[in-house]
Amino acid sequence: MRRNVAIVLTALLLGASALWLMPASAQQAPPAWKQGQPADLANSPLAPVPQPPAPKAPGEIPVDKIKLPAGFKASLWASGVNNARAMTWGDKGTLFVSSRVVGNVYAIVDKGNMREVKTIAKGLNQPNGVAFRNGTLYIAEIHRITKMEGIEDKLDSPPAMTVVYDTLPKDAPHGWKYLAFGPDGKLYFNIGAPCNICIPPDTHANISRVNPDGTGFEYWAFGVRNSVGFDWHPVTKELYFATHARDWMGEDVPSDRFDHAPTKGLHFGFPYCHQGDILDPEFGKGHSCGEFAAPLIKTGPHVAGNGVMFYTGSMFPAEYKNRAFLAQRGSWNRTQKSGYKVMMVTLRSGDVPKYETFAEGFLDGGGQPWGRPVYTTQMKDGSILLADDYAGAIYRITYQK
Amino acid sequence: MLLGALLATGSAAVASAADPEAGRRKAAPCAACHGPDGNATIPGTPSLAGQPAYFTHWQLLKYRDGRRQDAQMAPFAVNLTDEDMGDLAAFYAAQAPRQRASVVDTARVTAGEPLAKQHHCTSCHTPALTGQNQVPLLAGQDLAYLQKLLRGFRDGTASDLDGTMTMAARPLTPEDVENLAHYLASLTPTPPPR
Repeated sequence: MRRNVAIVLTALLLGASALWLMPASAQQAPPAWKQGQPADLANSPLAPVPQPPAPKAPGEIPVDKIKLPAGFKASLWASGVNNARAMTWGDKGTLFVSSRVVGNVYAIVDKGNMREVKTIAKGLNQPNGVAFRNGTLYIAEIHRITKMEGIEDKLDSPPAMTVVYDTLPKDAPHGWKYLAFGPDGKLYFNIGAPCNICIPPDTHANISRVNPDGTGFEYWAFGVRNSVGFDWHPVTKELYFATHARDWMGEDVPSDRFDHAPTKGLHFGFPYCHQGDILDPEFGKGHSCGEFAAPLIKTGPHVAGNGVMFYTGSMFPAEYKNRAFLAQRGSWNRTQKSGYKVMMVTLRSGDVPKYETFAEGFLDGGGQPWGRPVYTTQMKDGSILLADDYAGAIYRITYQK
Repeated sequence: MLLGALLATGSAAVASAADPEAGRRKAAPCAACHGPDGNATIPGTPSLAGQPAYFTHWQLLKYRDGRRQDAQMAPFAVNLTDEDMGDLAAFYAAQAPRQRASVVDTARVTAGEPLAKQHHCTSCHTPALTGQNQVPLLAGQDLAYLQKLLRGFRDGTASDLDGTMTMAARPLTPEDVENLAHYLASLTPTPPPR
C-alpha cells in the first residue's frame, strides 16, 4: 500500500514539475539560467561561470592570496578534489566530501603530512549532500537520498548505496541538495524552485526533512527559492539557513538572504516577495511582503551564500564562539562580482546581527575568480576547513595569537 | 603553448596548463575514428576539431566515469588521467573544424533555422552555434550524429552534464529534431573565439 502511494506521489511530482507557471512572455523555455530575463536585458553578456572539468594543480592555487583577519592563516589541506563541495566527518576521522556537477563523492584520509583523496562514488546525479551518523554515510542527489553503511572500514571497496528516500522531484534546476542531521536526528535538505522565477509547485521551494530510515517526510520551511546551506545554533538548536535569491532583476536587487526558521511552517516569500521588502514584478501582484518572514540579514545581491556553520571550537578567539560562517560562492548575474568570500555572522540578542568579512581574496587582478569558497567544516582542534569547488581544493584555516 | 583565457565575457581560464602538443601525441589512437586532426569522416562519428576545450574534457570525463555510455569510446577513456584529458581537449580545440560532408535537405534546413533561436540554442551555443566553454560547436557537425544526440536528449537517454540539454530538447517534436539537425549540419563551422 505504501509502495503504491509512493508511486502515485512520484507520478504526481513528475507531472507537477512540468506544470509550474512561468512568466507570460516565455514561448519555449530558455535554459534555466536565462529564464526570467526581461527583454531589456536580452543582450546581457552575463552567464553562469563555467565549471572547469578538472581541479587545479597545487602549484596553481594561490593560497597566500586568501586574506584573513590578523592571526589567521590559510594553508592548502587537500587538492585534486574535483568540484569539492560539502563536507562531513566520519566517526574515525575520515572526511567525506561531496561534489555537484562532476558527480563524485570523496573520502579523504588524513595521513598527517598529506591527505589521501579517494573517490568512493562517481557518476552520481549532482550529489551535493553528505551527512554521517552511526557509521553510515548518507548522500543526497537531485532525485534521491541513499546511504553507504559501514563505509569507514571499506573506503577502498565501498559498499553499495541503498535508497533511503526517493519520492523527490527530478528537476535539475536547483535540484541539488544540502543534507544535514538536525538536533532531532532527522535529515534536513532543500528542494529548490525548478526555475529562476516562477510559481513553483507545492512540492518545491522548501526545506524538508525525513527520518534516516526514510519515513516521516515533511516540509519544514516554505517560500525558500533555494537553500544549499544551513545549520542549527549550538545553544538554541534553532535552524538558520542561507538562500539564493532570483536573478535578472538587476545588479543590486534582490539581495540574497540569511534566515532564521525556529519553527516549522514559516513562509519566506518566494516567489512573491524578495529580500523581505520587494514584491516580484510579475508574481507579487495581490501580495504584500508583510505576509512573509523577513530575512535576518540581507547578505548582498548575487553573493550566492552556500555553507552555513556555527563555530564551536576553542582555537579561534573567544568572540568567535557561536558565530556562523557563511561561505559565499560568488556572483554570475552581476557585472561587478559580489561574494567570493567567507562572511561571519554574530547574533546578538536585542540587536541586529553583526555581518563581517572573514576570508576574501578569491578574485584575481582581472576580477575573475581563481577559487570559489563554498562550504566550511570544523576540525577537532578548532581549525576550520574551507572547500573550494572551482579550484577543487580544501584549505585549512588556523589561528595563532 | 598555453590555452589562453577565452575572451567571451564571463569566461574562465583553463584550470591547468594543458599541452596541445602532448595532446596531439595522445590523440594518435583517436585518429582512426575521429581523423588525425579531429575532422572525422565516418557518418555517425562526431568531429572534435574546434570543440571548446572544456567541452571535450567534460565528455572524456563522463566517458571515463561511465556517465556517458558508448561501447566504442569506453576502452579509450577508461585509463585517461586528468592531464591526458586536458591535453587532448587542448589539442582538438586548436584544430580548424571543417564542415562534414552530410547530405542535407534544403527544405529541412530552412525549417530548422528559426528553431535554433526559438528553442534558445543560440543562448548557450552562441548565435553562430560555435559553442563556448563546456558547450559544443554544432555548426557543420555530422548530420547522423546530431540526429542521434538530439533524439537522445529528447528521449532522456543521452547523458546530460547538468540537465540543461534534456530540458531544452524536451519540447522538440520528431520533425523539429530532423529540421534542427539538418540546419546545424548545413552551417559552416568557425572555431570558437580565442
